[in-house]
Amino acid sequence: MAEKYDAIIIGAGVIGAPIAYELAKQGYKTLTVDKLSDAGLGSTAASCAIIRAHYSTEDGVAFAYEGFHYWMDWENYLGRVKDEKGLAKFMQTGSILLKSQGHDWRKVQKHYDAVGVQYEEWDLDQIKAAAPVYELDEFWPVRRPEDPSFFDDPAKKLEGALFCPEGGYMSDPALSAHNIMRAAEVHGAKFMFNAEVVDVRAADGRVAGITLKDGTQIDAPVVVNVAGPHSYKINQMAPGVWEGCNIKTKALRHEVMHCPSPEDYDYYNKGYHTSDGDIGCYYRPELGNQFLIGSEDPDCDPQEWVDPDEFYAGQGGTGRDNQLTEAQWKAQCYRLARRVPSLPIPNQPRGVVDLYDCSDDWIPIYDKSDLPGFYMAIGSSGNQYKNAPVAGAMMAQLIDACEKGLDHDAQPLQFKMKYLKRSLDMGFFSRKREINTDSSFSVNG
Amino acid sequence: MSIYVCVKHVPDSAATITIRDGRQIDETITFLLNPYDENAVEAAVRQKAQETDTEVVAVTLGKAGAENTLRSALAMGADRGLHILTAERQDSMVTARALAAAIRQDGVADIIFTGKAAIDSEGWETQYRLAAVLDLPVVSNVTELSREGQALTVVWEGDAGALQTLKVPLPCVIGASKALNRPRYPTLPDIIKARKKKIRTVDLAALDLGRPAGVLELLDLQPAVENRRAKILAGSPEVAVDELVRLLREEAKVI
Repeated sequence: MAEKYDAIIIGAGVIGAPIAYELAKQGYKTLTVDKLSDAGLGSTAASCAIIRAHYSTEDGVAFAYEGFHYWMDWENYLGRVKDEKGLAKFMQTGSILLKSQGHDWRKVQKHYDAVGVQYEEWDLDQIKAAAPVYELDEFWPVRRPEDPSFFDDPAKKLEGALFCPEGGYMSDPALSAHNIMRAAEVHGAKFMFNAEVVDVRAADGRVAGITLKDGTQIDAPVVVNVAGPHSYKINQMAPGVWEGCNIKTKALRHEVMHCPSPEDYDYYNKGYHTSDGDIGCYYRPELGNQFLIGSEDPDCDPQEWVDPDEFYAGQGGTGRDNQLTEAQWKAQCYRLARRVPSLPIPNQPRGVVDLYDCSDDWIPIYDKSDLPGFYMAIGSSGNQYKNAPVAGAMMAQLIDACEKGLDHDAQPLQFKMKYLKRSLDMGFFSRKREINTDSSFSVNG
Repeated sequence: MSIYVCVKHVPDSAATITIRDGRQIDETITFLLNPYDENAVEAAVRQKAQETDTEVVAVTLGKAGAENTLRSALAMGADRGLHILTAERQDSMVTARALAAAIRQDGVADIIFTGKAAIDSEGWETQYRLAAVLDLPVVSNVTELSREGQALTVVWEGDAGALQTLKVPLPCVIGASKALNRPRYPTLPDIIKARKKKIRTVDLAALDLGRPAGVLELLDLQPAVENRRAKILAGSPEVAVDELVRLLREEAKVI
């Protein structure tokens, strides 16, 4: 006889684990399955784990800022659970958003005011005092080093910055998912690893359970797709689900670079997370006094959509997918080197290559599906790490409300934020939405 | 003073090497300046910093793409580049002759630096062959170096970590080890400057090397399979330690 649970969560990453945690706290008997050998080892592990509040929509800002409260109170959020691996740590560096043509910072500032995000407006002298290695010239538009005008001398200075003192990053994204798993287990949540889902079964017009690669069938009236870069494959396994989504998800190859900090600058202890639309990069301190350099996906950069199974088969194996691309290494490092001219650039590229699970408009889908009992928290890579605990609470509310009869498509759930006391119309994240043209179509969300 | 640094364009050690036709590797991967040659370039640039009127010339034998490696050496502070262009992979006998001929044609070397080895072929021999062709003294795996007049005092590491101090008259060939220095990382202004530095290209065929006495022919290329498997020893610490000792003695045969 097949095993039976109240809810199966597919994916033990940083979004899947909090969904399991919140459902378990509500009394659901949950099983989280993951193809890998532990929590957070998929694309979560490669996340830059930035905690910042600037988004292109007011709800986006509110959602992220609500998340701050969870990260700042991490131990209590976890119910003071002990994790044998230790707890991930919120590195509260503060977050600089440079005012540039690459970000609609006026809109962000308006949203900050509306939501009540703590911030300061900095002029160039204040930025220079905080981050003396930054040169504050304007380099816009973002170009690639192959373009000769990349090296043109700047003609103008930037305008200043919005500084959000509460921002930062989590020290270890994989560990943060592991922490949440341990917290969930206290409430009876079960986790199963090395368990690859090959089928999502339906019966009598609703989801019935999953089938694993080894043939094991596990039944549950609720199945949640939180499979990260594999999300579209899981949706395609569930009858009618993929077809019922107006917004689809795909896997995008993404590279993050590590460059040492200038020798006389203690970026690791004194540096700030910085969003720099002017050069199409964001950066934050990384262990070993390094700059971690992420890309804001400027239009001039190529996008490589891949099959996640083929990509991960190449990880550490015979594929090219575990290697940084030389051209992209140069693009991201040289861009940051315009802002930080003393940045040392090693001859040998180093960093992280992994996949984003991207939706058509880079806004996630937190929703039910056309198959009753089947839910999804997908399209979340690139800009949802910071929202993970809130997304967990929101998905648990949604699942519980729908299972109790809510017609979420007709009357979208109004999610109540615990800390900000705002409510958020979950219709914003609907799979049925039209492409949201307010989105930045990038990691900025 | 005139310093030449021989550098090699090699696959990134982080690259996944794929073998094609049993004879060559797939070259669509990242290639870069051989890491030991970075120590050689650093040593050359530091010598230059100690003496006015010193020129550092980076020399390579390689395909067209090897120009990137010369640019890396230039970004680290070499003054100009010399690219001996070849369409084929060359063995160390041809390489040493080509480097010697190109350097002779270019000027008079006081010191020639190389890395102690290239991370692709790991032959550890080009520096010795180069010195033999030029009839110069050579010391490799050098960990310390200082110059007094027309001689270098060098420390080199021999077998099992034995260090030996030698005095070598100039001109000479020096093979740099990792311990010699910490190579600098260029900054973007260095890289931009390097884009404008001169690289002279000579064709390997134009050097008229003649025929070396021996030729290395590559018959077959196979990936080295690494079979490293972690094993967790169960049981109490006492039991696990006993088992570990047994494994080290009987299986690994290292104690």
